[in-house]
Formats: sequence, structure tokens, C-alpha cells
Amino acid sequence: MTAAKSTKAPFFRHEFVLVAVIVLEVILFQALGRRFLDGSNVSNIFRFSVEVGLLALAMTPVILTGGIDLSVGSMMGLCAVCFGMLVKDASLSPWVAAVLSIGIGTVGGGLNAFLIARMKLPPLIVTLGTFSLFRGLAEALTKGSKSYSAFPDSFLALGNSTVAGLPAQLWIFFLVAIGIWLLVHRTTLGRSFRAIGYSPEGSRYAGIPVERNLSLAYILTGAVAGLAAVILVARLGEARANAGIGYELLAITAVVLGGTSIFGGSGTIAGTLLGFLAVAILNNGLKRMQDYEIFDKTIASVSNEMSGMLTGLLLLVALAAVPVVKAITARRAKS
Amino acid sequence: MKPLLQLSDIRKSFGAVRALKGVSFDLQPGEVHALLGENGAGKSTLIKVITGAHSPDEGTLVVGEETLRSLTPSKARELGIACIYQQPALFPDLTVAENIGLRLKKTGAFARVNHAARRKQAEELLKRIGADLSPDAEVRSLSMPEQQLVEIACALGSGAKVVIMDEPTASLTQKEQHLLFAVVRDLRKSGVGVVYISHRLEEIFALADRVTVLRDGESVGTNRVDDLDEAAMIKLMVGREVAQLYPPAEGEAGDVVLSLKNLCCAAGGVKGVDLEVRAGEIVGMAGLVGAGRTELARVLFGITPADSGEIRLNGKPLTLSSPREAISHGIAYVPEDRRRHGVILEMPIAHNITMAVHPVLFPGTWLRFKAETELAKDFIRDLGIKAYGPDAPGGSLSGGNQQKVSVSRWLATKPKLLILDEPTQGVDVGAKSEIHKIIRGLAKDGLAVLMISSDLPEVLGMSDRIAVMRGGTVTAVLPGGSDAHEVMAAALGHGGKEVA
Repeated sequence: MTAAKSTKAPFFRHEFVLVAVIVLEVILFQALGRRFLDGSNVSNIFRFSVEVGLLALAMTPVILTGGIDLSVGSMMGLCAVCFGMLVKDASLSPWVAAVLSIGIGTVGGGLNAFLIARMKLPPLIVTLGTFSLFRGLAEALTKGSKSYSAFPDSFLALGNSTVAGLPAQLWIFFLVAIGIWLLVHRTTLGRSFRAIGYSPEGSRYAGIPVERNLSLAYILTGAVAGLAAVILVARLGEARANAGIGYELLAITAVVLGGTSIFGGSGTIAGTLLGFLAVAILNNGLKRMQDYEIFDKTIASVSNEMSGMLTGLLLLVALAAVPVVKAITARRAKS
Repeated sequence: MKPLLQLSDIRKSFGAVRALKGVSFDLQPGEVHALLGENGAGKSTLIKVITGAHSPDEGTLVVGEETLRSLTPSKARELGIACIYQQPALFPDLTVAENIGLRLKKTGAFARVNHAARRKQAEELLKRIGADLSPDAEVRSLSMPEQQLVEIACALGSGAKVVIMDEPTASLTQKEQHLLFAVVRDLRKSGVGVVYISHRLEEIFALADRVTVLRDGESVGTNRVDDLDEAAMIKLMVGREVAQLYPPAEGEAGDVVLSLKNLCCAAGGVKGVDLEVRAGEIVGMAGLVGAGRTELARVLFGITPADSGEIRLNGKPLTLSSPREAISHGIAYVPEDRRRHGVILEMPIAHNITMAVHPVLFPGTWLRFKAETELAKDFIRDLGIKAYGPDAPGGSLSGGNQQKVSVSRWLATKPKLLILDEPTQGVDVGAKSEIHKIIRGLAKDGLAVLMISSDLPEVLGMSDRIAVMRGGTVTAVLPGGSDAHEVMAAALGHGGKEVA
């Protein structure tokens, strides 16, 4: 009985910790800067981070299966370059090119899926390989320097306009979030991701098509990386080989921060969304600090450099909070 | 004589759960004292108190001359208490001598190792317990019982006066058990006290001098083994009379459900198996460990597909290349390794029970939580699964109840053929007879049951027919009432040679 309770309790507590972190961040940035909670800034927070959010959503099922996908950031670079070539060199409509780019992401995800599910190679090693492969392809296609720009305004609106008061791409994010939430929490496929994460052998013995379902998880991250690339190009107005560098780590940070076990099995989409919020708000707040004149120049420049460090600290503090609190209460209960 | 170990009125609680409610226990030199009880009776907690892993809330321990409130693992070791676990904790890549040396002598990180002395010491210890092992053998290459012998050698080498053995025979073959028994008897002769834990009553009769029975965290009595018979012992354990150990066969066997002709699988070591299982019939499958029984089950369940030969189900020839395919044809397999293959311990039992019926219960992939909970509740009620509800994680249940969850998962598929692999391994006596009743009930309802078991009394008591495997093939099919000697003889391939 006690064991059963303790499997649930820390999970809730973890989400409480995250909400507390988010509230703290908001209070801090509101106090330090000005107009942090302004409508325009709030929508900026989302506009600038939707791509990472999409990756984090798609990464959740993969991590639930006990795997990882390090190639999503590089996949964005490849898809962005392909998108640029399809529009500029092949003169396709940006919308057709967008669909094709997502298709390229799907194929790339399929390559990961084949190597991991079929060839039974470790996900960390496979996606470390495709991490270099996809980025390398993108660089080769653009000879390292070429970039594509001057896309039609109707396409750029996807990254820069507002629809019903919210950034246009946020609506796509909502749709994907709902879709992946349904997938993870309401379908047999989602259930099987957990089962595979807890015990791949046990899942096989229960008749779950482990190979097929594992493949689907990696194909999904590839497709979503393609989508994220299209949105990024629309926001920046430029397609380059360096699109999405480091995004895979931010996405994994958000997922792990959200309480999904890196060993697979347990985790929620709600957690991932909270983890994503915590990361997005931190990065936005730190970027804005440079713009305010109340800080002298040194703090401003330092705050930008501290962004990575603070993201790391946030991850460690949030992950350590639950076990540390537990250890302290246990010690108190003893004495 | 002064006891080696005396525990008085030991109490221990974990939160609201009172694991031990005043247990007293003593161990004399040169005695084998069995500790008996159902799963959850408090045996493991008591052992952990003796080895210093848990400190008791109340009570005293007297070890030799010292009276203590509690022990630590290092203090226990110092006082000569050693524990031999089911799964020996040795370094697989090191040799026997290195393992023994490491265990017995704590040296600094940069100290010089005297290999010759180490080897000599290991040799002497192995000789003392009569183990025919080379000190230079890598532990990886040893069988489980041989590894246990190494553990015992370590215990002796450390000058242990109290040796605790926790279900040492769980994974041993008959022959290996006899080897282990001989070692235990030697230990006794040399004045060592042995605390012996086992679910198998016949071992306790064969080996122990006294037996203490635990029930719900209390000791319900310490008796001389000679003063008890099997029924009395079971009564003490479960607190009620278990009227009949095995439910009687009922009804006639129906049509042939499964028929195998010259079935071969090189990868699984299955060589030319012929076998029939009829509806309403329990076919027990006996044989030594390594005879190919589990391997045959894995072929029938599509885990390691067959190379040649014929599998017919209800007369229809089948090829089985994945568990999913086997399930769709109506074959169910309750695997031997419950914790790895049978139940996902972290998942709620409702999820575990529905796992093999996703396509049927959730057509169109959407989960239906109400239907799932209903199904789980039905099985919890029908099979008498003790859990606080369908949401309880599999790992929170006792072994017997986990096994019932594993069986439920397969009954939910409404199979034609149910293959059970060691269905009562590591299950306490009460749950064991319940599982037997369930299996017999299923056969009565017309299911064809193939039951693999290394528990000979179980095979003899449950089976309508007994198939004996040896060297990857079925060497004999005996009628239900056969005696143990016939079955063992067939399993060993000896023409009627005495084995006991």
C-alpha cells in the first residue's frame, strides 16, 4: 500500500514544484524588468519558443518508450534548407514545400525508426549519428553558407501575424498539443509507449507490436521537427543550415523538467507543457533584461551569457527538489 | 547449550504497516532452523533485522555474548552472521578465488594482492564444503547452485556461525538440491547454525530440526519438525485447514485442441516434439531444468518460431512467428519469469490485465477506461486477487497475486489453449492452492491446458496426463496417476533408476 501511494505522490509534487518555479520566474522578471506581463511580451514568449515546444511535445512519447531523439534539431536544419530549395530553386508554392518538408522530416524519422526498432541499435547512438548526418546534409546542400530568403508575405504571416489575438503559430502548437495529448493519454498506442518504456520484453510477451509502435514514435518526432522547421523559417524569413541548433537539448530539458522519466514509462503531456513554459519564460526574461536601462551594461551582457547556465540550474533544482524534500521529511520523521 | 542467536519480542513497522508484531526466535549451534510463512508473513523483514539491514522498533537481539538493540550490516558480519541469497551477488567476470578473496579481506586500493595465498585459501574453503570447483573458474561460467556454493564458502571463510539461506533451492534442479542439502548437513555437523527459508515443505522435512512459522508478522509457534506433519504445518501457516492440496479432475477430455508433429526449432533446442492436448484436459509437463520445456512454450507462442514440423490448433495448421499472431489464434502463455515477462510491475493491474486484449477491448485504438476498470474488477473478484483496487501497481502485490494478474491477462483473451510455465513458482501455499483451483476450473470449462512445472508433486497432483521432456523432445507421456519415480526416471532417461 505504501509503495503504491509513493508512486503517485511525487508525481503531483513534481508538477507543484514546476508551477512554483514558473510563478517565481514571472514574479522575478516582473519585478526586475518592466511590462513583462504585457500582452505583447506574453505573446512574444510563445512566438519565439513554439518550435522548441513542438519538439518537446513530440519528444515525450519517445522518452516514454525509454528512448531519446537527439537528431530533431539537425532535422530542423535539413528541413529548413530543403524548404528553401523547394521554394526558391524548384519554384514551388511555399505551402506545397511546407508539406514536402514535413514529409522529409517523416522520412528522416523513419531512418531513426528503422535503425532503432528494426536493427535494435541503441537510440542514443543512432540519433547521435543522425544528429551529425542531418546537419551535415543541410550544410552540404547549402555549401555551408548559402541561405534562402524573400519568401512571400502570405507565408511569412505564419510566423509573424496574430490570429484571434494570439500568434498564428501558437494555434498550430495548440492543435499539435491536443493531438499528442490524445495520443499519449487516450489511445492504446500511448499506453503501449509506457509499457515499452517499463519493459520492452514484457510488452512483447503481451502481444504488443513493439517494433511497429516504437517506429511510430520516432517517425512522429521527425514529422514534427519538419513542421517546426517550417514555422521557424516563416518567423525568421530565412532558411539556413544552422536552423534549430541546440533545440534538441532544450526540448529534452523541457520534457525531463516536466517529470517524464528518462528511463521511460512515466510522464505526462501536462508535465511537458509546464516544463516547456518554465524554460521559455526563463529564456525570454533573461533576453529582455538586457533591454532595460535600469541595469547597467555589465549586468545586461552577463544576463545573456547566463541564460544557458540558468537553464541548467533550473533543471537541476527542479529535479532535485522532490528527492531533497523527501529526504528531509524522512530524516525529520526519524528523529 | 547457549544459543547462537536469540531474538526477543522484535517489533517493526513501516508507516502504518506492522510487519513484525513481537517475534521471538532462537538458533542453537549445529541446528537447521526453518522459517516458514506465506509471502508477506514477515520472513524477509525478520531476516533483514538479523542481517542488520533494518533496525527493529522494539525488542532485543542476543548474538553470542552480546546483547544489542539493533545491528548494522557490518556489525552483523563481524558477529559471524552471513546470508546466502537466492541470486548470489558475485562478480561474474572475476574468478572464484578472486571473489572469495575480495569478500574476506578488505584491502586498500593500492595494496598488493597475494594471488597464490588467495588461491590457496579459496581451495581450502571449497574443499571444506565438498565443492568440486576450480578456484580459477570465472564465476560467469558457473551454474546458479555452484555460485551459491561460492557464497557458502565465503560465509565459512569469514568464520560465520549463523548462516541464513533464503529460498536457496528456488532455481535448482533436483540433483543440485541434493548437493546443496549435503553441504547444509556438513555445516550443521561443524556447529554452524542455519536459518533456512523455503516454501517447499518437503525440503523442510528433509533438512530442518526445528521450524518457526510466521503468520501476519507474528510467530505462531516453534516446533520440532518431527512433531509435525505436512497438514499441520500448512494449517499453522495459513491459519486454516487446507482440506485438499489438489482439486480433483472432473469431466472427460474433449477434442484435440493442440497437436504437434515432429516440431523442431534449432535456436530453441526443440527437437522433434510430438504432443496432443485436448479440450478440458490438463497436460502436465515435467522434466529437468534445461530439458527444453520453456523453449517449447516459446515456440508455441511465436517468440522463437519453429523451423520445421507441424502445429495444428483445432485441426488447422498454423505458422506462428510472433506472440501477437499466437494470441490471435487463441494461444495464451503465462510466462515463467513473472517479474520480467508476466506483469509490468510499475503499471496498474487494470492496465496489465487488458494489455493482451487491446485490439478487442479498444477497437479503433481509443482507450475505454470504464470497460477496462470493469474487466479488471471482474478478474479481481473472480480470481480473488488481493489488491486495493484496479489502480494498484503490479509491484505492490504479493507474488501469488501478481501471478493471478498474469493469468487474468491471458484469460481475458479467451484462449483455446493456455500454456502455464511454472505457475506457482515463488508463490506461498495458500495462493498456490487457489491457483490450482483456478487452473482446474478452467479445464473444467473446456480449456486445453499445458502446464510446465518443476514442482513434481504439483505435476503429479494436477495433471490428467503427464508429458516428460528430455533433451529437447517429449520422451514419455504418462497417465495421470503415475508415481514420482516413473516420472523422474523418464526425465533422467534412466530405465526406472531410483532417484530421491
